Amino acid sequence: MGLIKKVPVYAERIPGGSLVLTTLETVLHQGQAKSLWYLLFGTACCAIELMCTGASRYDFDRLGMIFRASPRQADLIIAAGTITKKMAPRLRRLYDQMAEPRYVIAMGGCTIKGGPFYYDSYAVEKGIDHIVPVDIYIPGCPPRPESLLEGCIHLQEKIKKQKLLDWQEK
Amino acid sequence: MTPDELKDAVAGKLGDKMSLLDTGRMVPMFEISAANLLTVAESLRDDAALKFDYFCNLGAVDKTERFEAVYSVASIVHKHRLDFKVILDHDHPEIDSVQEIWPAANWYEREMWELFGINIRNHHNLTRFLLPDDWDQGNPMRRDWDAPDFEKLPEL
Ligand code: SF4
Repeated sequence: MGLIKKVPVYAERIPGGSLVLTTLETVLHQGQAKSLWYLLFGTACCAIELMCTGASRYDFDRLGMIFRASPRQADLIIAAGTITKKMAPRLRRLYDQMAEPRYVIAMGGCTIKGGPFYYDSYAVEKGIDHIVPVDIYIPGCPPRPESLLEGCIHLQEKIKKQKLLDWQEK
Repeated sequence: MTPDELKDAVAGKLGDKMSLLDTGRMVPMFEISAANLLTVAESLRDDAALKFDYFCNLGAVDKTERFEAVYSVASIVHKHRLDFKVILDHDHPEIDSVQEIWPAANWYEREMWELFGINIRNHHNLTRFLLPDDWDQGNPMRRDWDAPDFEKLPEL
């Protein structure tokens, strides 16, 4: 009954029985938040930090985050790196191929607002929120793995707070 | 061949078409005219003593009043290297394709066409591959070009 300790607000134990009452929403969102599989989308230097986060020192897996090489199996895009104008339609296409509910983390200055290439670059998209809806922004150039982990934890909290039918309305 | 031997060999064989430039670099740099490009390239590749069989690089430089196409070639057999450049008119830049001689030049020439707007004659596949597919804003590597969404750097 570890779940009861973790979600005491929503779960109740019937005295004397082995029955647990909770809401579908809670269980579903617990599951979603703890198994965020992310699409590998490292396009520049931020991807190095992403790889570092995925490796054993920071151990991304303990948040239930496992990378997937196919958008069909992913719940989340971590856009790690510069998105050029040429890449932008490809990012949108990958996003469209993902099954809902889907989330986007913008990692690093480049994905937030063009980063160090904000000035005088003809090739860089100035923020991926022009292309896909972003859930979490993680600033930094590049953000340290700790920031990325914290961003993911924020995303998990966001998922746990959402209503069951939220994503259908998007 | 050492660079000095190479300079002498090229001067002996192609001295009338290639003029040596004094760059102070180890790799000798020659200048040739656009009309001679194909004949020079063919001799460089086919001559038994020179045998430049490897195409290293092709770049363009915008010097405001002219363009320069800079070719780097090397010989795997003789282990020597040479650069040469072709001066192009700034208003109507046009150059012959060398991909019949060095097939590796194909993509470099496409890049030059795309980013500098230098027209390549007799190229087999002059199509866009670097800029976005719907790009219609000109040739971004030209000095007189400005992107519509350039931002001024802030005064520090
Ligand atoms: S934000 Fe910085 S580290 Fe990240 S991709 Fe851009 S330039 Fe590289």
